[in-house]
Amino acid sequence: MSLTFSLAHLLGGIILLCAFLQLSQRRLAAMITLYQAEALVLSAAAFWQGFAQHEINLYLTGIITFALKAVLLPWGLREIVLRFNMVRAVETALPMAVSMILGLALIGIAVLVVLPTTMSSISLTREDLAIALSVVLLGLLLMIVRRNALAQIIGFLSMENGLVLAAIGMPGMPFVAEFSVALLVLLAFLVVGVFLLRIREHFDTLDLSGLEKIERRGR
Amino acid sequence: MNFAALAIALPFVAAALLGLVGTPRQGAIGNAVASLALFGLTLAVFWGHSEGLVAVDPLAALFGTVTGFVGLTAALVNIGYVSVDAARMPARRWRLYHTLFQIVLGASLLGLYADNIGVLWAAMEGGTIAMTFGVSLYRTPTGLEAAWKYFILGGVGIGLALFGTMLVYLAAQPALGPGFAAMSFRALSVHAAHMDGKLLTLAFVFILFGYGTKAALVPLHGWLPDAYAEGPAPLTTALSGLLINVALLAILRFRHLLVANPDAMRPGPFLLSLGLASLFLAAFSFSRRRDARRFFGFSSIEQSGISAFAFGIGGPAAIFGGLLHMVLHTLLKSGLFLALIRAASLRGPAAPGNYGFSHLRGLLQANRKIGWLLAGCIFALTGLPPSGLFASEFIIISQTIQKNPYMSLPLGLGLLLCAVAILRNVGPLLFATAPHEKPKPAGRSVWLIAAHLALVFLVAFAMPLPLVHLLSHAAEALQ
Repeated sequence: MSLTFSLAHLLGGIILLCAFLQLSQRRLAAMITLYQAEALVLSAAAFWQGFAQHEINLYLTGIITFALKAVLLPWGLREIVLRFNMVRAVETALPMAVSMILGLALIGIAVLVVLPTTMSSISLTREDLAIALSVVLLGLLLMIVRRNALAQIIGFLSMENGLVLAAIGMPGMPFVAEFSVALLVLLAFLVVGVFLLRIREHFDTLDLSGLEKIERRGR
Repeated sequence: MNFAALAIALPFVAAALLGLVGTPRQGAIGNAVASLALFGLTLAVFWGHSEGLVAVDPLAALFGTVTGFVGLTAALVNIGYVSVDAARMPARRWRLYHTLFQIVLGASLLGLYADNIGVLWAAMEGGTIAMTFGVSLYRTPTGLEAAWKYFILGGVGIGLALFGTMLVYLAAQPALGPGFAAMSFRALSVHAAHMDGKLLTLAFVFILFGYGTKAALVPLHGWLPDAYAEGPAPLTTALSGLLINVALLAILRFRHLLVANPDAMRPGPFLLSLGLASLFLAAFSFSRRRDARRFFGFSSIEQSGISAFAFGIGGPAAIFGGLLHMVLHTLLKSGLFLALIRAASLRGPAAPGNYGFSHLRGLLQANRKIGWLLAGCIFALTGLPPSGLFASEFIIISQTIQKNPYMSLPLGLGLLLCAVAILRNVGPLLFATAPHEKPKPAGRSVWLIAAHLALVFLVAFAMPLPLVHLLSHAAEALQ
């Protein structure tokens, strides 16, 4: 039983680390690699939880996560980076150090919020939930501190990973949720792919700070 | 018979068909036929029986019928819209447009009828994705900006809502154990008292901010005015109120779990503050809006805030008022947008950008009927008598005075500011002189707009007894 706990927490911790490190990366390629590592560990966590909870559904979640998030999505993202020639450094809206301090604060908030409210729950769920909430909040922060569309999308995907991490930790949760998360990622990718192409068509850049026409026109 | 499952399946089947074949005009007619059948099915749901993931209660059936009605009238006006505007997009994109129209209808119905909180979430997600495509359909730079905003804000909201949904499931573990029961609204509301109160509070915060994004409550409203203004009008404006209803009802149902649980925090203050913030933000954003669709988008934020405020006050009567307000506002607002589409098409194509107040002014010269109907809708939106909204707002205000007197002052002030700001626009819109314009025919759709307006008046002041029973039972169960 203790191995179940420590391994699940170890995997959760690595995911959190990957999410946090994404904040510190200037280059898109490095962010994608970190995202890939995060997804890889997430699928391992799903397999481990499936083994620990004896849930066949979680193995399926693990396979979906591995195939879509650890293989297909990073490949697509790298393809976009190459095609749009965005190998150079990404711009940030906030200085790196500030965003990392904010990230630390968010992790602290997540732990302080979740741990006291879940005293009665099983401790496997408790710590996993705190980690998952931290990953979700870090994903949101990443979306806020980056101006580049692709970096924002990586933040969004990282947030999704946090959601899946929370879902696999729930005892015996019906498969509906996991399946829809997997679906969401797929659809998000479709939507996002279409958007990227169209934004490119119209603006010749993926820097969204130029995307403020409505603002200037005075609505 | 399980009409609810049929009513949910029909739009998705129609969406697939409309996406594959047809010219724009055929698509519009097919769309209208499908919507007519859908309206029939939503009526039949009242007499049907359903169990399992999709289990309809009378409240959901009522809002389903409103959804069906709005979908039908929008689809009928859409025929005229498409015939004028067909050249703006290639035929393939018109097919996508009609597909999205049906998907939004289907997703709204699925969200309303769902008993399982996971299915509810999936419906919201599907609706969000369809709407994102809808907003970006014209491929204009401003349209893309609006769609990007919608996608990012909506996506984040959907993510937070999923986290909240999972927390609700976790909070239900002590009472219901693992499995589907812990995700069913019926089972949850029966066992709400035995759920983990602290966890439920945390869950509600995520649910409120997640679905609150979809209900456009301030400070999560940023996507709404742009999304209203940029997409094809029948899809992104006339239908978008339906998803707001789904989100508000979801918030109301989750709120009930908190109220029924002794350990959970009271949800009132959250809802009251978000509701008032929406009301005041709308009141101060009305000035300097040049685009009519954006202007009335802010009005949707205001109305959504009023309903949230009513839910925050709590008690059967206030919730009755809030629900009535949602029904009336949905009917009125979609009628108003249909009138707006007709008014814009009196002055050329009804494409985005042609809804400026300066472009529409002096409507009486172009067509008296549409001018007066649009003015009637706008006046009704202020909530001054004899508008239908007066009835619901009166209930909400009188309940506020009884339960929380200090809150009635900001509520009244906000309502007044909004009413004044809206009324300022009526005069120029009707009576300004537009040079060299001959009257144009109104088209048959004026009857639809008049039907919307009459329905709002009838429901408010001559409410049928079964409707009173339905709403008051629902409000009592969800108090």
